[in-house]
Amino acid sequence: MVAVTARAIVKRFGATEVLRGVDVHVPDGGFAVLVGPSGCGKSTLLRLLAGLEDVTAGEIRFGERDVTRLAPRDRDIAMVFQSYALYPHLTVRDNLAFGLNLRKTDLATIASRVAEVSAMLGLDLLLDRLPRALSGGQRQRVAMGRAIVRRPQLFLFDEPLSNLDAALRAQVRVEIRKLHDQLGATSVYVTHDQVEAMTLADRIFVLNRGVVEQVGPPRDVYDHPRTRFVAGFLGSPAMNFLDGVQVDAGGLALPGGQRLAIRDPERFGDRLQPGRTVSLGVRPHDFVVRPDAPDLTVEVELVELLGPELQIHARLGGRPLAVCLDSQSGVARGDRLPLAVRALHLFDPETGQSLRV
Amino acid sequence: MSSRTCSPGHVLGALLAVLALLAPALARADELRLWHAYRDAEATALVEIVEEFAARTGHRVELLAVAHESFGSKLAATIPRGQGPHVFIDSHERIGDYRLRALLGDAGPALGPDADYSAQSLAAVTQDGARWGVPLNAKSVALFVNTRLAGAVPDTLEGIAALPMPAGVYPLAYEAQSAYGHMPLLAAFDGRMLADDASFGFVGPAAARSLAFARELVERGAVPRDADGALVSDLFRSGRAAFAISGPWLVGQLAGVEFAWRVVPLPIVGETGLPMRPPLTVEAAMLSPQGSASPAALDLVRALASAEAAAVRQRLAGTLSVRTDVPVPEDSPVLAGFRAQAELAAPMSADPAMRSTWEPAFRAIRKVLRGQASPEDALAEAARRFADVRRPPPPAASPTPALLLLGLGLLLVAFHLVRRARDPAARQALRASLPAYRYVAHSVVVVGLLVFLPLIVGAATSLFAGRPGEGYYVGLANFFEILTARGGPLLATGSFWFVLLVTFLWTAVNVVLHLGIGLALGLVLSRPTLRLRALYRVLLILPWAVPSYVTALAWKGMFHQQYGAVTGLVLAINEWFGTSLEPIAWFSRFATAFAANVATNVWLGFPFMMVVTLGALTAVPADVLEAAEVDGASRWQRLTRVTLPMIRPALAPAVTLGAIWTFNMFNVVFLVSGGDPDGSTDILVSEAYRWAFTREAQYGYAAAYAVLIFLLLLVTTRLPAWLARRPRGAR
Amino acid sequence: MSPADQGRKVSLAESIGAHLLLVVAVAFALYPLLWVVSLAFSGAVEPTPRVLPVPIEPTLEHLRGVAFSTLQVPGEPDRWLFGLQLANSIVISLATALVGVVIAVPTAYALARFEFVGKNGGMRALLATQMFPAVASAIPLYIILDGLGLLGTRSGLVLCYATTAVPFAIFQLRGAFETIPRDLEEAAMVDGATRFEAFRKVVLPAARPAIAVTALFAFMSAYNEFVLAHTMLGREEMYTVPVVLQRYISEFSADWPKFAAGSLIVSIPVMILFYIAQRHLIAGLTAGGVKG
Ligand SMILES: Nc1ncnc2c1ncn2[C@@H]1O[C@H](COP(=O)(O)OP(=O)(O)OP(=O)(O)O)[C@@H](O)[C@H]1O
Ligand SMILES: [Mg+2]
Repeated sequence: MVAVTARAIVKRFGATEVLRGVDVHVPDGGFAVLVGPSGCGKSTLLRLLAGLEDVTAGEIRFGERDVTRLAPRDRDIAMVFQSYALYPHLTVRDNLAFGLNLRKTDLATIASRVAEVSAMLGLDLLLDRLPRALSGGQRQRVAMGRAIVRRPQLFLFDEPLSNLDAALRAQVRVEIRKLHDQLGATSVYVTHDQVEAMTLADRIFVLNRGVVEQVGPPRDVYDHPRTRFVAGFLGSPAMNFLDGVQVDAGGLALPGGQRLAIRDPERFGDRLQPGRTVSLGVRPHDFVVRPDAPDLTVEVELVELLGPELQIHARLGGRPLAVCLDSQSGVARGDRLPLAVRALHLFDPETGQSLRV
Repeated sequence: MSSRTCSPGHVLGALLAVLALLAPALARADELRLWHAYRDAEATALVEIVEEFAARTGHRVELLAVAHESFGSKLAATIPRGQGPHVFIDSHERIGDYRLRALLGDAGPALGPDADYSAQSLAAVTQDGARWGVPLNAKSVALFVNTRLAGAVPDTLEGIAALPMPAGVYPLAYEAQSAYGHMPLLAAFDGRMLADDASFGFVGPAAARSLAFARELVERGAVPRDADGALVSDLFRSGRAAFAISGPWLVGQLAGVEFAWRVVPLPIVGETGLPMRPPLTVEAAMLSPQGSASPAALDLVRALASAEAAAVRQRLAGTLSVRTDVPVPEDSPVLAGFRAQAELAAPMSADPAMRSTWEPAFRAIRKVLRGQASPEDALAEAARRFADVRRPPPPAASPTPALLLLGLGLLLVAFHLVRRARDPAARQALRASLPAYRYVAHSVVVVGLLVFLPLIVGAATSLFAGRPGEGYYVGLANFFEILTARGGPLLATGSFWFVLLVTFLWTAVNVVLHLGIGLALGLVLSRPTLRLRALYRVLLILPWAVPSYVTALAWKGMFHQQYGAVTGLVLAINEWFGTSLEPIAWFSRFATAFAANVATNVWLGFPFMMVVTLGALTAVPADVLEAAEVDGASRWQRLTRVTLPMIRPALAPAVTLGAIWTFNMFNVVFLVSGGDPDGSTDILVSEAYRWAFTREAQYGYAAAYAVLIFLLLLVTTRLPAWLARRPRGAR
Repeated sequence: MSPADQGRKVSLAESIGAHLLLVVAVAFALYPLLWVVSLAFSGAVEPTPRVLPVPIEPTLEHLRGVAFSTLQVPGEPDRWLFGLQLANSIVISLATALVGVVIAVPTAYALARFEFVGKNGGMRALLATQMFPAVASAIPLYIILDGLGLLGTRSGLVLCYATTAVPFAIFQLRGAFETIPRDLEEAAMVDGATRFEAFRKVVLPAARPAIAVTALFAFMSAYNEFVLAHTMLGREEMYTVPVVLQRYISEFSADWPKFAAGSLIVSIPVMILFYIAQRHLIAGLTAGGVKG
């Protein structure tokens, strides 16, 4: 439908600079997810795209069109709010038809579109109810329907699922992705739920303190975080970090006297001069049990069974370490667990930048 | 589009429809406007006379009934603007006042031969050698006799008072506590309210003796205490008073009573041997300046004053004509009684100073009748008060300093504006404000024109003295007078500072009670488990739904010492529980009179607070309360730590506004206690109203009060914010 | 606190307490009104202290006397005066409510949603208007109205009432608009509405209860006013009912029963309005629509 490009966006509220030069590009039909910790400026960015706020500096284009100064109504977008923002005085039907009415669409078209969308979302039986007579999930679907019915060029979602329970969230998540594929419209989606981010996105934008830390397909961002922040933010449980780890020839000196060999040092170019200190990051899922040739051994403090897997709280030289293993592993409290590391990440302790080249 | 949203088309349509309904009914040029204060039979008689006139001459006459009390203020508001009547029928005693305000034209040309009118009535409308009205009727009180209770009429007032009566029946009912009611008695002691030289007449031994006499009548139980006109009528009508001193208006109410009655002149007071002489009110047809220039209006006056018209009035309404050629009909003993009385009566003084006698005299009489002061002391106080009110206004001052200051102020403002206009940040902010201005501009214009402008002009009036139209600049003299309590003791009753204290007390007590009761009821009513919620809600809102001037008067009635429902309750309690509580004379002491006012105002105001509370409570989500409950908060803690803080923002504006309104709530004070006792329960606004309307029309002085009230409220409401503001350096 | 205390069931003692409080309050609220009713229906007077407000020798005479007064215009057929005057009262008050709300709503909205130069000053000035007693501003007001050619017209009266009602209405409505989530307007704007359309089609309907209450306030203030009405209106068929009632209690001859009867009659429309509005008076402003 349309590609979204935002260049060097700066947004200030009075003296506080909320966005500090953000670039976003979402290709036509793409599904971009903005993630980041609370207060990092996700909603602000989304509202800028919607035209609900004016940029302080920068430029926003939808396809070839410069929309930086356009009012929301002229941008041909639809937005799903976290609060849903259903019009309390209108029935579901009128809520759905609201935008079309404003655009003076003829009644027959409105009726057929509303019917189509309500069938798609299973809202047929609710059409004459007022929002206050709906459940949370139903309200969410009305909010979605209100966006879809307009057939906009661009969908904006601001944490649309955060008010739903876990099961419903998973279900709607799938529906959203399906709808996206079906409608083919470009979408920008804000969330701070990793699972949503990972599963929905074609492209993830990780925001931190008003700047984009990393962009890329979810797999890429997950596997190769560019900064320590991104590494720690994506993934659950979060990546283990061991700070102040010394590099020696071809390996790392871990706390507690153990040594971890780096299997493919060429990935880091010449950045691993012996003697320098780095931050080591290993995802809990990147450990495997390897009794024969372990990379390191940890003491098990606590074992939690999470259904398919075990989450193990362990210690390495006195420092806490989280390890996720298959639930069949048969680990018990107090065990000394020999582990191999499938993948490791190294970061500059000062800048937080990944040391990979 | 859904029918639930309203389009501007609908609103506009509704507006247009309403405005069409309200389109001014244009006054026709050939129309004569005649104003009067009649109702019932008198109004019918007037219509008949006017109809005859209209049919005979072909002039259209527009009749308008105006409340007697507000006649003057309505004339003053309309005549200068050409909207007033050509002819109006009013009491002669207002002539002096109307002349001062330039509301009267010469009525001489419409009068006809002097011989047609009784000498008294001609005297009543004559001032400075000119005739200011054409006399129509004469009205005075006379003695009504219930012939079943009193076979023969004793010659003297003492004789009447001494007549043995059944329990619960008074020998005589008259308005002992009012100045008007006291005047016949005063005349019997050869005293008067206003001396010929317009000085206070209600002084000296004659006045003191008349007061002592009245007090004795009341103390002996021969005359009811605290009787107003309505009570006098009711007592006589229900056979609970053998005699009553009342006027022609009582006649209409006596239709259908079971006893025989008649009307005779007032008796002699044995102590002096002089007759009681009531003041005579002559109703006259007066002309506005516009009317006196119109031949048709003069014709109308002639028609009103004609012998034929007098006969119609006498026949239909039983009014006593002043015409010498209209005899009292043979078959009307009542009218004969009134005529006999009228011949003995003296016209009420039409001097504008007369108006200033009422309030001091009234207060003195009340004090004496309640035994709170000796006649001498009360009269001395009254004389002082009269002199105070009549004191000439402050001398004119030079407006130059004020104009200089004003000019300087404007210059500063202009300078400031120019500086701001050059500041780019300010310009930027102004530009950003433009969209908002589109939403507020119309309000600014309308409120500015109809609220602010009058307010500013009104405030400026406080710098002037004298009557409207001929006022002159006096600078801050009015304020000086007020703040120095007009030279009297600073905390004497009626001084600004005393009234200020009372006003603050009044506001505080009312607001606390409004809020307390409103909150309590709101909280109870908001409980979802409560049955009959809707019913309670409707019933509790009712005090707010009924016009307050009605209910305020109902409350006053309930507090009547002798016949009020509160006394009824006290007596009932005595009966049931064998106690011996005394009925309270509510309006004779400050504390009880104040309490009566407060009770009324609380009653009027609590529904508002209740509704506001209920509204605010809907904004408190149940889960917050539950969270607090889980956190271990007791019910009381939940109320004080969660509910109240949460509804505070919603309540705060209502409380502020409520406090401001209470501060200026003159209705209740005026209607319930009327300032009793002795003006001590007056608040600042009622004081301002008295200066503007019941004393000498000193608008400048009243405006100064208004400005002071405004400043006080402004400071009081802004004080918390000012105190909370950090010193400038901290920024 | 014991667990029993926290139970959802309200204890009997507590509910009796609540009802007791309410019954006492209702008695307090109704007692004076019942005296007015009793007076209006009494055919005779009985000057003795009484406790229960029951009419003596009940009659409808006063009600009839007030309600069926006619306008006698010389040379024209009589018209049903009281009906005209009641209609006047209602029309003037409705117009006041309408005009007042129409003036106040956009302003209140701007105060709730926009930042602009002079906002705080304006709010303070608005509050200040409530502080100045009318005693000093009445005469200048007449002069201004005269200048506008509105003295003596009902439209002028409506304008006066509406403008005096506006400051309070603005306060009231601003509070209501502030409780309406901005999301709603933004959603509408994204859906294709201009700011003004969003205001009109979403904010206004959502604020309907508050607007109804504000209108009711304005209605009441106009419906009960008589000083201004009395001074301004120059024809009897233009009079409002309070002006008419005022005439029943003149200094010399107060006709209390008729006054009471008239008061009852005028209260009826207001009571009906209150009854209709009371649901709104308390209705939540934004129930539903926002967070589940
Ligand atoms: N109107 C405003 N005025 C001033 N500061 C604002 C305004 N709106 C947002 N901010 C600030 O901008 C920052 C970013 O806000 P934003 O709502 O974009 O965060 P977010 O990433 O959506 O967070 P969350 O995940 O909690 O929703 C926050 O620090 C917030 O306080
Ligand atoms: Mg957000």
